[in-house]
Amino acid sequence: MSTVTWITARGLFGRRRFLMLLPLPAVLVALAVLCTSLGVDPREWGPPVLVGLGLAVVLPVVALVVGTGVLGAEIDDGTVVHVLTKPLPRWQIVLPKLAVATGVSAVTVAVPIVVAGVLADSVRLGVALAAASALGALAYSALFLALSLVTRRPVLLGLVYVLIWEGLLGRFVSGTRVLSVQQWVITLADRLAPTDLLTAAVSVPVAAVLTTLVAVGLTILAIDRLRSFSVAGETS
Amino acid sequence: MSEPTGVIHDIGYQRYTGPRLGRRHVFGGLWLHGLRTIFGLGRSAKAKIFPWLVIGIVTLVAAGITAIRSQTGEVVMTYAQFADAMSWLVIFFAAVAAPELVSRDLRSGVLPLYFSRPLPRGDYALAKLLALVAGLWLLLGGPQLVMFLGAAFATGDGLAGVRDEAFDLLPALLYAGLWAVVFASVGLLVASLTGKRAFAAGGVVAVFLMTTPIVGVLSILPSRTVNELAMLASPSTLVQGVGLFTLGDRLAPAGAADQMIGGFGPVYALGAVLLVAACVALLLLRYRKVAAR
Repeated sequence: MSTVTWITARGLFGRRRFLMLLPLPAVLVALAVLCTSLGVDPREWGPPVLVGLGLAVVLPVVALVVGTGVLGAEIDDGTVVHVLTKPLPRWQIVLPKLAVATGVSAVTVAVPIVVAGVLADSVRLGVALAAASALGALAYSALFLALSLVTRRPVLLGLVYVLIWEGLLGRFVSGTRVLSVQQWVITLADRLAPTDLLTAAVSVPVAAVLTTLVAVGLTILAIDRLRSFSVAGETS
Repeated sequence: MSEPTGVIHDIGYQRYTGPRLGRRHVFGGLWLHGLRTIFGLGRSAKAKIFPWLVIGIVTLVAAGITAIRSQTGEVVMTYAQFADAMSWLVIFFAAVAAPELVSRDLRSGVLPLYFSRPLPRGDYALAKLLALVAGLWLLLGGPQLVMFLGAAFATGDGLAGVRDEAFDLLPALLYAGLWAVVFASVGLLVASLTGKRAFAAGGVVAVFLMTTPIVGVLSILPSRTVNELAMLASPSTLVQGVGLFTLGDRLAPAGAADQMIGGFGPVYALGAVLLVAACVALLLLRYRKVAAR
């Protein structure tokens, strides 16, 4: 545990706004339990809850809030200078922050989605969904961490990606699905536990390779951007 | 009588004797400033990127629909359906605009300056709210006007055709107004809770996105009543419910309204009114607390 890890974790959990993350997973579990207790067919409630809420909303939104929070918040209020002036290689700043962001969002999403997956089908589906969403959390966190270094408005750009690219275009233009983290997560989960609840839109190798590429490539980009980072005031 | 000798200089201090504009003008000024803030007018180019990106996409879609209609004669979307189809972009626009309106003032601590004017606490919140309502309405109404102009010039029935189009357009503009009021009141309430624009934007989107799948689940539960009331659970479907109730076949194929909301139309209208009223009340409460600090 490096000091950067510890500072980042404390920055995330030390504020009241961390509680903002709790309702999302809670709603996911509540809906799954409600549907099971009323005896609705899992094939009917599975897709809207697991994919529509879990993988399409909870995972990206949690990863967005956490991923831009670990570095973006420090850049925003200027305290990033205190970390940057320490004699640390840049990768020792980016990697711990990425690890914390991935860990926090993976746990926040995995716990409710395991419960929902077990209720919907089997333990295998639950574990598969959790593993896939952990990989998705890694890709999303790398994306949003890199965004908070290349632009001053990371949350809005992240929202453009989540809402417009994955949400709007992903629904109407099937070509954009190849470049959508959400579809990779669905594909990987479907590969790990084949059920008729999930429909994969891309092939497994494509999803695996692209997830790795995004995670590694964007982390390298983030380290590189942090090398030549200039501290500026708040945007108007 | 000798000249006074003790005077050092008369440097010309004067009292202001011009007209003093009252509360109404403060309100109007704040509203106009808010509206300009939403669209990034009078601000740097960076502040214009996101609002005009959304406006560009929405207008492009409207132009595309108009072009298809004038070429093939096929009505891809009615005016009211256009507002529904753009709901994701409206959410994003609200997430961009609401934090700009309220979070920046909270963060930079200028509220005491505002409230030292003859400006009641509630007026500040209401002016910002009305600015956001106007902004969202323009976002939806502008492209609808583009569609109307396209249809009006392409109509083959002369003035009667134009009149029919106008009668289609007017309810749709009111419907866009409903979208604007509901989204603005919910979005501004969420944004007023935090001074950080980033978190405010995330919060606004989370509220709208999180509630939509709840509707999806409620509408497959084994109870007809719950299914018909399901759309109350999310602000965007609540608006659609009111639209189905009031606009009928302008929004959806005949019979769809019966299937989706059954006889609960008035409940949806009441729900929308209650939601807006609750959000405005909470917003006013919030600003009473902020002002007291």
